[in-house]
Amino acid sequence: MKITLSVNLGGYSFNIDEDAYSELKRYLKNLELHFAEEESSSEILSDIESRIAELFRPKLTSYKQVITIDDVNNVISVLGTPEDISDNERTSAKDKFSSPGYHRMYRDPDHRMIGGVCSGMGAYWNMDPWIVRLIFVVATMLGGLGVLIYLILYIVLPEARTTAQKIEMKGEPVNIHNIKDSVKKEFDTVRKNMNL
Amino acid sequence: MDLENTKAQMRKGILEYCILSILSRSSCYASDIIKELKDAKVIVVEGTLYPLLTRQKNAGLLSYRWEESPQGPPRKYYELTKEGKDYLTDLDESWNELVESVNLIRTR
Repeated sequence: MKITLSVNLGGYSFNIDEDAYSELKRYLKNLELHFAEEESSSEILSDIESRIAELFRPKLTSYKQVITIDDVNNVISVLGTPEDISDNERTSAKDKFSSPGYHRMYRDPDHRMIGGVCSGMGAYWNMDPWIVRLIFVVATMLGGLGVLIYLILYIVLPEARTTAQKIEMKGEPVNIHNIKDSVKKEFDTVRKNMNL
Repeated sequence: MDLENTKAQMRKGILEYCILSILSRSSCYASDIIKELKDAKVIVVEGTLYPLLTRQKNAGLLSYRWEESPQGPPRKYYELTKEGKDYLTDLDESWNELVESVNLIRTR
């Protein structure tokens, strides 16, 4: 006898054995880490989840209603482990993980009002972006300098696109734990947007 | 030198080209593309395709739309953009040149 869990994969609901669940979860976490450097990592992951759902469905019949560890291992061999998938021409993600935590200023596209300059500065100094915005507004009223500084910063500061950059923006060390949390947050947002 | 590694590198180089060629015939969803690539033995593991599709989409070569599916949730259908078609034309040319060059050397 085994305990089963119910999971939602790409919009399908599956009953899955507990051991199969942990294996699948571990696999998806590894993929998350592998793709953390990509610009649209959450999109790639949700595409892969849909594909896993598609591969699971024919494995279920009226006599077999639960996804087993064999099914999961089979799907992993079809889709490939991160090592199988990895492109040799790209620098391995592992090198990045061992680097010390950079703290760089970026534009923050997730919390922006105009170009993400103030939200990026807020994230860098760990303060409410509205305080930064207020300072810019006051500086603009006192002679229009605010607009000029804003434009310069907009041009100079790069936008935080990848998960690693978003973590650097907040000054947290780029390690597996942080990337995991951050990717998960992004993943949930995409899910919500897609109503899955 | 590692034979498997060299083979994998060769396949990787043409994979991007193959995806665009498949999509130039008609719009497809990811699993159709996978089936063709697997039949042609261009990919070994399916996971390789997804980051490539997303990168090509981000580069403006592909676009996608959601289409209802008779069984289950909507599917993502990819198609070539105008930019993607031009890109493919260039790749077609360079592929022909490559084949010619290799043949020239091999038959000498």
